Amino acid sequence: MRDPETTTPPVATSPGSAGDPDLAREVVAFTRQATRRYNRARSSFPDVLANLYSAALALGCAAAIAVSFVFALRDGIAGSMVHSSLVDSRWHVLPAATLWFLLTYAGLAAIAIVARKLGPVTAGPAEAAWWLPLPLDRRPLVLPSFLRRTLATGLAAAVAYLPFSVLTALDRHAAAHLMAAVTFGAVAVTAVAGAAVLQLTPQNPPQYPALMLAALVPGAVLPFLAGARWPLALALAGAAAALAYAAPRAGLVPRAELVRGGAVSGHVHASVFFLEANELHRALAVAPRSPRQRRRGARFFARPVSGAFTALVRADIVAFFRLGPPVAGPLLFLAICGGVVLIDPALPALVQIAVLVIAGCATASGTGTVIRRTALIPELDALVPLPPWQARLSRLAMPTLAMGCWMGVLTAGLAALGPAGPLLVPLGVLAGAGMAAGTLRAATRPAPDWTRPPVETPFGPVPRDQVSALLRGTDMTILAMMPVMLALYLGFVHPLLIPAQLALSAGSILYEVRFGGRPA
Amino acid sequence: MASVGAVLEARELQVGYDGAPVCGGVTVAVEPGEVLAVVGINGAGKSTVVRTLAGRQLPLAGDVLIHGLPVTPDAVGFRRQVAAVFDEDVFFPALTVREHLLLVARGHGVHSPEQSADAELEFFGLLDRADAVPDSLSSGQRRRLLLAAGLIRPSSLLILDEPEQRLDPVMRDALGRRIRGHAERGAAVVLVTHDPRLLVQTATGCLVIGDAVELVTPTQGAAVIAGS
Repeated sequence: MRDPETTTPPVATSPGSAGDPDLAREVVAFTRQATRRYNRARSSFPDVLANLYSAALALGCAAAIAVSFVFALRDGIAGSMVHSSLVDSRWHVLPAATLWFLLTYAGLAAIAIVARKLGPVTAGPAEAAWWLPLPLDRRPLVLPSFLRRTLATGLAAAVAYLPFSVLTALDRHAAAHLMAAVTFGAVAVTAVAGAAVLQLTPQNPPQYPALMLAALVPGAVLPFLAGARWPLALALAGAAAALAYAAPRAGLVPRAELVRGGAVSGHVHASVFFLEANELHRALAVAPRSPRQRRRGARFFARPVSGAFTALVRADIVAFFRLGPPVAGPLLFLAICGGVVLIDPALPALVQIAVLVIAGCATASGTGTVIRRTALIPELDALVPLPPWQARLSRLAMPTLAMGCWMGVLTAGLAALGPAGPLLVPLGVLAGAGMAAGTLRAATRPAPDWTRPPVETPFGPVPRDQVSALLRGTDMTILAMMPVMLALYLGFVHPLLIPAQLALSAGSILYEVRFGGRPA
Repeated sequence: MASVGAVLEARELQVGYDGAPVCGGVTVAVEPGEVLAVVGINGAGKSTVVRTLAGRQLPLAGDVLIHGLPVTPDAVGFRRQVAAVFDEDVFFPALTVREHLLLVARGHGVHSPEQSADAELEFFGLLDRADAVPDSLSSGQRRRLLLAAGLIRPSSLLILDEPEQRLDPVMRDALGRRIRGHAERGAAVVLVTHDPRLLVQTATGCLVIGDAVELVTPTQGAAVIAGS
C-alpha cells in the first residue's frame, strides 16, 4: 500500500477552476457519457426496439381508449343534458363557465403545489453526494433536468387539458380546443417556473406561495378565450418570461433545497413506476410545519389513562391531529361536489354521482396518513399488550369520525337541495364509517407483484392479482358508498337502504378489524 | 474575535432539532496542522455537531467560522476549502470506482487527475476493483471509495464522521497515518471516532460531547471511548 502523497505531487487546483461553468458542463458530460456507455453495454438493439414497440403500442391503445371515452361522454353530455339531477332544478344556479374556470384554476394550483413539493430544481441522491460538493457553478449541473421536467409538465398539462376542453366547450371547433390546450400548457410552465423561483428562498414568508397562486388566476382565464390568438401569445410570452427569470438562477437554489426536492422526486418517481399509491401518499405527505403543530395535543396525551387500549386510542388521536392532512383538501372536495350538483345546465346524474364517488375516495384516502405510517412498522403495535385487532380498531377511530363528519356535511347539503330527504344524512354518516374501513384496507395494501403471470379469461389475459392489489381498499370505500349513491339516484331513501348501509358499514369494519392487516 | 490562523472556530455553538439542543454548547478552535477528535456515547450529538460545523444543518445558536468567515455551504469558496465524509452510501450506479474519483478530481481542478485517482486506488486497495460499479463492491470497499473521494481533493478543513466504520484494522492504521499526513501539510481535521487507537494515533485534541462539552487530551478522550 503506497501513500499517494508520497508518490504524487501535492494536490493543487488549476487557476480559475472555481465556479467555472465550463468545468461544470464537463462534469455533467463526463457523468452522462459514462452512464450511456454502461447502459449501452448492457442493452441490445433488439431489446431497445422491442421496448420502443411495446411502449408505442401501449401508448396508442391508451390514447384510442381515452379518445373514444371522451367522445362518448361528450355525445352523452350534449345529447342528454338530462333533466334527472341530484338536486332540484331551481338550485342549478352555478353557471357552467364558472365551474370550468374554477376547475382549471384548481388544476393550475395543483401543478404549482406539486411542482413545489417535487423541487422543481433538484439533485438526485447521487448528484447531491458527488456533484454538489464540487466548487463549481451549479447551474449547468441542475438546469438541464429542470428544463426537461418543466417542458414535460407543460406538454402533459396540454395533453390532459384537451379532453377537458372537448367536454366543457361543446361548441368550440378543433383548432380552438388545440389552442386552449397549448395555452393551458404554457400557463403550467409558468406555474412550474414560479415554483422554482420560490426555491431560491425556501424560508420565505407564507405570503409568497399565496402570491404565486394568486398570480395564476389570470392564467386560468386564458384557455377560455381560445377563440382569439392573443391569449395563446400572452401565455407563451408569460412562460418564456418566467423561464428566462428562473433558469439563470437555478444554480442559486440552496443545497438543502436541491437535496429535499431530489429525495421527494425520487420517492414519487419510484411510487408511480411501481403503481404504489400508499408510497405516493407518503412521498407527498405534508410534513408538520411548525413545532407547535408537532406538539399538538401534548396535554391531552399526557393525561392519565385507564388501560392499554385507551392509551393506544389516545396516541392515535394525537397522531391524527399532528400528521393528518390540512382541512383544505376535504373542504375542496366538498366544494367540487357542491359545484358539480349546482351547475347550470345540469350534468347527467350518473356523472354527478361519479364525481361524488371520486371525491369520497380521495377524501377517505387523505384520512389514512397515520394508518399508512404505522402499517410500515408492524412492530409498533407489538409494543402494547393488545391483540392486533384492537390496534386496528384504535387506528380506525379518527378516520371513522372524520369520514362520518365529511359524509354528514355532504349528504346534509344534498338533502337540503334535493328530493332525497333528511334520512340521507344518517345514511351518509354510516357510509363514512364504512369508507374509513376502506382506508384501513388500502393502507395495508400489498405492493403489486408484477412477476406473476396474467390469468387467462374469455376476454383475454388479465393481470388479476395485480389489479386486485391495486384496487384493495378502494373497492371497500366504493362499496360503502353504494347505498347513499343509490338513494341519490332514486331521489329518496328507501327504508331498506338504512339497514343495508348499516350492515355494509358494520360488516366492513368488522371484517377489516378481524381479518385486516397486511396479507402475507 | 477568531483565533489568529484558526481554520475552524465555534463559539457557544448550540446544535439540535426543532429548537431543542442535543448537547451542551461547543466552543472550540482548530488551527492548521491540528486534528480535533470528537467523541461521546451513542446519541450524544457528535454527528449533529459535525454536520453543523460542515454547514449541513443550521445551528440553534452561536457561531461557526471557517477561516474567520461564517459558514456558507453553498458558496464556491466554502466547497473548495471544506471536505466532509459522512456515511452517505450513495453513488452513481453506472459510474465505476475510478470514474467516481476522476469526477471529484476533475471537479476540483486537481492536476493529473488520472494519476491522483490511481494513487488513491492503490492506497485504499481498490486497484483490482477500479472498473467495477459501486453496487458490486463490498460495504467496506464502498467506505474506502468515499474516503478516497474525500482525500483526493485539496482541502484546508477535512471533516470525517466515524471513518473507521467498516474498515479492517490494517486500513484503519493506514488511514490514521493519512489523516496525520494531511494535517502535517497544513490542513485542519475534525474526526468523529469510536476507535481509541485511531484517536491516539491522529488527534492533537479531543472534544467530549455530552450534556457538557469539554476539551481533553487525546489520551483522556481514548479513556472516555473505552468507558474507563
